[in-house]
Order: sequence, then C-alpha cells, then structure tokens
Amino acid sequence: MGRKITIEPVTRIEGHGRVTIHLDDQGAVEQTFFHVDEFRGLEKFCEGRPYYEMPQITQRICGICPISHHLAASKAGDAISRVKPPRPAKLLRELMHMGQVVQSHGMHFFHLAAPDLLFGFDADPATRNVFRIIKENPKLALKAVNLRRYGQQIIERLGGKRVHANFAVPGGVNAPLTEENRKAMAAELKTMTAVAQEAISIAKGWLEANKETAVTFASFPSNYMGLVDAEGGLQLYDGEIRVKDAQGNFLAQFKPEHYLSFIAEHVEPWSFLKHPYLRKMGFPQGFYRVGPLGRLNVIDKIGTPLAQEEFKLFRQINGGMPVEGSLYYHYARMIEALYGLERIGQLLDDPDIMSNNVRTYPPLEKVPGQGVGVVEAPRGTLFHDYSTDENGVLTRVNLIVATGNNNWAMHTAAGAVAKAYVDGTRLTEGMLNRVEAAIRCYDPCLSCSTHAIGKMPLEVTLIAADGTVLDRLSR
Amino acid sequence: MDSKTIIIGYGNIDRADDGVAFVVINELRRQLGQKMLEEDDTGLDELNDENDSIFLSQLVPEIMELLMGYNRIIFVDAHVGPDTNDLNCSPVLAQYTSSSFTHHMTPSALLAFLKTMYQCEPQAHLVSIRGYDFDFKRTFSPKVQALVQPAVNAILKLMNQSRV
Repeated sequence: MGRKITIEPVTRIEGHGRVTIHLDDQGAVEQTFFHVDEFRGLEKFCEGRPYYEMPQITQRICGICPISHHLAASKAGDAISRVKPPRPAKLLRELMHMGQVVQSHGMHFFHLAAPDLLFGFDADPATRNVFRIIKENPKLALKAVNLRRYGQQIIERLGGKRVHANFAVPGGVNAPLTEENRKAMAAELKTMTAVAQEAISIAKGWLEANKETAVTFASFPSNYMGLVDAEGGLQLYDGEIRVKDAQGNFLAQFKPEHYLSFIAEHVEPWSFLKHPYLRKMGFPQGFYRVGPLGRLNVIDKIGTPLAQEEFKLFRQINGGMPVEGSLYYHYARMIEALYGLERIGQLLDDPDIMSNNVRTYPPLEKVPGQGVGVVEAPRGTLFHDYSTDENGVLTRVNLIVATGNNNWAMHTAAGAVAKAYVDGTRLTEGMLNRVEAAIRCYDPCLSCSTHAIGKMPLEVTLIAADGTVLDRLSR
Repeated sequence: MDSKTIIIGYGNIDRADDGVAFVVINELRRQLGQKMLEEDDTGLDELNDENDSIFLSQLVPEIMELLMGYNRIIFVDAHVGPDTNDLNCSPVLAQYTSSSFTHHMTPSALLAFLKTMYQCEPQAHLVSIRGYDFDFKRTFSPKVQALVQPAVNAILKLMNQSRV
C-alpha cells in the first residue's frame, strides 16, 4: 500500500510551498517532490507601465531582497535607455547591494540556519530556534541584530527611505554620497567584520565537527552558475555569467544579455515555478545551482583579503573540485557576508565614490527598447528582461528569480534527504526538520510579496493509499 | 515613559487585499488630522506624536529599537482563512513560532524578541481584515473595502481605552 507524506511549510496564501514524500509498501521513500505554488502574475502586472518605473515597482515583489530587484530593474533600464552609468553611480549601486547582501546573509544565518547547527536537527523544536541563542548567548544575538541593522542602514542612507529605496534610476543614481553618510558607514565596519568572522567560525566549526553529515547531507552533483569579474573573481553586482559542471570544468561564460541563448525553462505539472536549465545539456541534466555555493564553485578568487583567505579553505574542502554538500551553503553565505563588508570598505575608500557625477541622461529619440539587467541577489542570479515600445512602455517582462534558478536543486536536495533519513513507518520531528533544513540551505524566497496573517502550519501527514491519515506532525 | 501608542500597518499595496492596511492607516491618519502617507512612505520619519502610525512592507527585526519607545502597539494586517471573523481584533502575546524559511516576522514573534532581547513588554493588539484576493492589482475586494472604516473604529477604540 503506497503512502504519501506532505510537508506544507509555507501555506500563507493557498499554499506556496509543499514537500510531498511518496512511500512504497515497505515505508521506504520512493519519490519526493518540492512544489511551489507561486503566483506568476507580476510580469503581466508590469506590462503597460513605463520601464523607468520598474526600479520602484519591482521592489514590492519581495520584501526580503527588494534592492536586488531595484538594481536589476535599473540595469535593464540602462540598456533600454542605451546609457552607461558613470563609474561613481556604479560604485554607489554596488555599495547599496553590499548593504543588502550583508543584512540578508546575516539574517538567514543567525535566525534560520544557526539553530540547526548549534542545537542539532533533533533538538526540541520548541527550543531549536533563535530564542535559545538569545538566552544562551545574548551577546551573539545582539551582534546578529546589529549586523542586519548595519546592512539595512546602508540601504537607508543611500535610498533616503527605510523601505523602498528611491535611488537607482536608468543611467545611474539620483543622489551622490554625502561625507556624513560615508563616515557613518565606515565607522562600524570593523565591528561588523568581526561579527561575520564569528559567524564563519560557527559554521566552519560545525562543518568540521560533523564532516560526515556535511559531505553527505543533500549532497549531489550539479552544474553551478554565478557572476564573475574580468579576472574570474567573485562579483555580485556586475560581470559575466560563468557556468561550471559538477567536476569544475568550464561550461560557458556569457554576457547577461545573452542569457536566453544559454538558459531555458522546463515546466513540470506539479509546480508553478519553472525549472531553468542549460540549453545545451537539456533537462534535467542541465540544472544548476546558484547562490553562495554556486558562486563560490565557479569563481577563481575573491578580491578582498579576509574573504579570499576563507575562500582558499573553502576550495580545499573537496580538493579543488566543486563543493556538493548543501550544508556548505551556510559557510559560503558567511564568506560572502565577509566579502560584502570588506567590499563596502573598498568602495568607501574609492575616491570616485564621492563624485557628483552620478547619472547619464538618455538620448531623446524614441525607439523601441530591450534590456536585460542581472545581479547576484543574496539567493542567486536574478534576471530582469524587458521590452518596450517607442514610448518606453513595457510590452514584455520576463523575470527569472534566484529561487527559481535553484528550483530543481531544492527538489533534488529534499529528495536526497528524504531518502536518507525518512522512515515512513513512523515520522519524527527530526526527520521533518532535516527535509526542511535541506531546502533551508538555499534560503528560498517562495512568495514573500504578500504578508497577510494566515495559517503557516508546518505539517507532515502520513496518508495511506485509501486516504486514511496514519500519522501527522505539525508546529 | 509617557503613554505612547504606535499603529503598524503592513502588507503589499500591489497585491490587492494584502495592502488593505495602507488604506486603514491613511484613513486613521485623516481622522486624526495627521498627514496622510504617500505611496512608498512609511511614516517612520515623522514619529513624534502620542499616537504614531506607520506602514511597512513587512515586520523586520530592526524596528525593535523603535518599538521600545512605545507602551502600546496595534498591528494592522490582512488575514487569510475563515477561522477568525472577517474583522478581527485580538490581543497579541509575545510568543515565538518557529519560522522555517521566512526572513520576516509575525507580530507575536516581534514581541517575543522585544521581551527577550530588550526586556520590553508593550501591550499589543492585532486588527486584521480577512482578504479574499491577493492577485497583482491595486483594488480591493468589496468585502474588504467595506471593513476599512470598521477597522479604523476598532483601532480608535483601542487607542481610547484606558492607558496601560
């Protein structure tokens, strides 16, 4: 008698994400699916709007990484306007982006990832959370809050608002950096860098102490993707897209605007979220991973000293080959947070950052436009692709978000962990948590653009083929 | 500390009923003779009244330090599902619910953080309106629209209750 387990971790509105685990007659895992019931109406919502409104509109796609959308939309707007922002504007956009990377990575690590690492997957869920961190290590908790605040304040200082920055525009940014703000950002850098290093120490310490779990948990071969600079170094704001295979062999490197020549999207009937893959490899062989692990697996180096030293250690984990274990996302994520902080320092020290030359204005002639803007959002590569008519009104919008790029990877990770840990004869909370933790490594943002209070059950239900509920876990 | 109340509406104005708190906050501000919020304004830059009100896209931890200055918080949101009344007004207790993936916080989790990290325990209520439509648009369901004024009345009633 086959049975099915359903995990509904994010059912805020009509169920955004579920995991269903299908068992065979012996209670062993037969197949696992990661479903995303995501609304895909935003592209249509944007059509008919002027392209230059997109940096503001798209911030409301996501309350978690609005700046990524803000910047990707601005870069697409640069292309449509046929203008190149002046160097100071690029520096300022990158500075804002680093603020977001730092706050997002810090939030994920301390709030969502660290409880598993510090207290164990099988710890009582009532205490396996950030509050236990607060109680047992209040200084660390305060540092975590301050790290997020620091990143957020960079965004606020540049954007002029605490929410929905009004900063990047096609052709540049709308205001230069003030000396007051530059000093304020620089003042806390040393303290925040120490917090990131402490987080790295926690992640690395756990991974070393639990090496067998680290290298086997949700570990699988895949391709990897991320932006790189001209020297193959880590880039989060600009650059070319590099793809490597599971052995670390170079597969492709291309300009973001050519993405459709390299990437296609596959549709599965059990998920609203498409599965991007590399065209030349086909689906599913061409699926790839993005985000911190994907990025660190494609780059040659990191252009800041402390993060580069950590990157050297990261590279040794699998003897120079790509690191496959999903739990290493946490380590990679905090290496990137460290990079973000060091990069903020580099940017603040760049003489051009104080320039008033922050915008190039577009030519006046009216022609249809097309533009692609790509940034590395905290969760991975983010594509904004717009077409307009001669008046700049959007006629087509295509977005591939970071969580979409990792869709098949999360599906694969959940499946691998379910096979390894789930005993269908009797569910345990630790089992449920491991499946969740596999997905959590990718820091997914399933559909965070609505926030209505509703049921958010975390439920695993064991259902017999005849519909009888055999077991249920929820919190 | 003087008795101070902050009303925090949150949601997404581009997602139909999810943005109803923005309209509730603005109607409240109008009735209190306060400047109404423009789109993308939060109200965070003009906090100096006995009764402040703001609108956010979501609840995030960095507002904790701000909330320490208040002894009453009224959250305003949309809610999903039929388990509560279409217009819900209920106390919120400091209680952390484990969050698997999301970076944003619930009102009760925010209060729990305030209590645990800053030993701050404001009285709190949630006023919420049941949403029916969360598509990408800027119009509300008729049932939601009809509950805007009752929601404002509920908030005013809470504000006028004896001070904590």
